[in-house]
This record gives sequence, structure tokens and C-alpha cells, in this order.
Amino acid sequence: MADVLLNEQTTGQIREAFSNLKEPVVILFFGSRENCDYCDDTRQLLEEVTALDDRLTLKVHDIDTDTEIAKLYRVDKTPGIVIAAMDGDQISDFGIQYSGIPSGHEFSTLIQAILLASGRDSGLTPQTREFLKNLQSPLHLQVFVTPT
Amino acid sequence: MIRAEGVEAMEFPELSDRYGVSGVPQTTINDGAGTVVGAVPEQNLLAEIMRASKK
Repeated sequence: MADVLLNEQTTGQIREAFSNLKEPVVILFFGSRENCDYCDDTRQLLEEVTALDDRLTLKVHDIDTDTEIAKLYRVDKTPGIVIAAMDGDQISDFGIQYSGIPSGHEFSTLIQAILLASGRDSGLTPQTREFLKNLQSPLHLQVFVTPT
Repeated sequence: MIRAEGVEAMEFPELSDRYGVSGVPQTTINDGAGTVVGAVPEQNLLAEIMRASKK
């Protein structure tokens, strides 16, 4: 078995953060066998994170073979990560996703996204909610980030 | 209807180049209809989304 990515200190911090989890969350991982330098590490990272709390589930997909699922969640890059709500067997997509390996600073972004999805509340202002409720066409935000 | 995607800029350099990402965070709205540089307050982001949505 490969070495673990998260050390004891980090898993302790994550467990503490996860004590604030409310509702179950599912993480959908999309990898590909070719041309994906970070797929294996990303999958392992997500396996280690989701193993830390019973309210978290990981589903592993291949973007080339699970094309319908990738299309459903609008995932077009690998590694691709979707953070969604899980109620029973029902997955509710909030449109929250991350493309690339969530390492360095972006690891806390992943943890925050899990907590956000678990709380089932965007935390947005009434003004923003009102605008988004009345959207007439799809909205795609891409936030470019780096791990350092 | 709404998709919020974090993109690791160095892993997807072609995309970063297309939108002229020179610093992070940088937010691209609807494939370049709008751009926000840096981390801004929610109301500023909303204003840019509103502007970009009218295009």
C-alpha cells in the first residue's frame, strides 16, 4: 500500500473541523487513465479524507467510461471533484466542483466546501439569493487558484 | 443552473492562458463574459455577475 498522504496532526485537525458537519455529503471523483498526472494522488487524498467521518461518502468514476455521469455533473477535466449533498440514496448537486489536486492552501478549500455542502446553506445575502433565483441562463464561475 | 468551479491554474495552463490569469484568485464568469481579479466582497462579485449576465 502506498504511503498515507495525511499525517496524524492533519487528520486530527480535519476530524475537529468535521465535528461541525451537519448532513451527509458525497464526493464524486472523476479520473482518467491517461494524461492525468495528479489523478492517483487526488483519489488517495479523497479516500483518506472521506474515511475520517461516517457522514462522508466517496464515489469514484472514470471520465472516459462513465461519460453519462460526467455529463450529468458537468465535469470536463481530470482530476475532477464534485461536492454534493447526499440524502439517503439521493444525490443533490449544488454545482460545487474543483478541478485539479486540492493540495497546499487548496486543501482547506476542499474541507470548507465539504462543510458548506453539509450545512445545506450557501450563506449568501438575500440580495444575491434573489438575483440567482431569477437567473434566466446558466451561470458558470471558474475561480483560478494555485496551491501555494 | 449554477456551477462554481475551483480550477488549479497550473494544472490547466491552456485554460489559464485563455482567460489571461496572471494572479490568483481570479474568477472568470461564463467563459470570459466577466472577470474578477482577487478576492472581493460578495456584492462586488454579484455586480460583475449581473454585468456579465446582460451580455
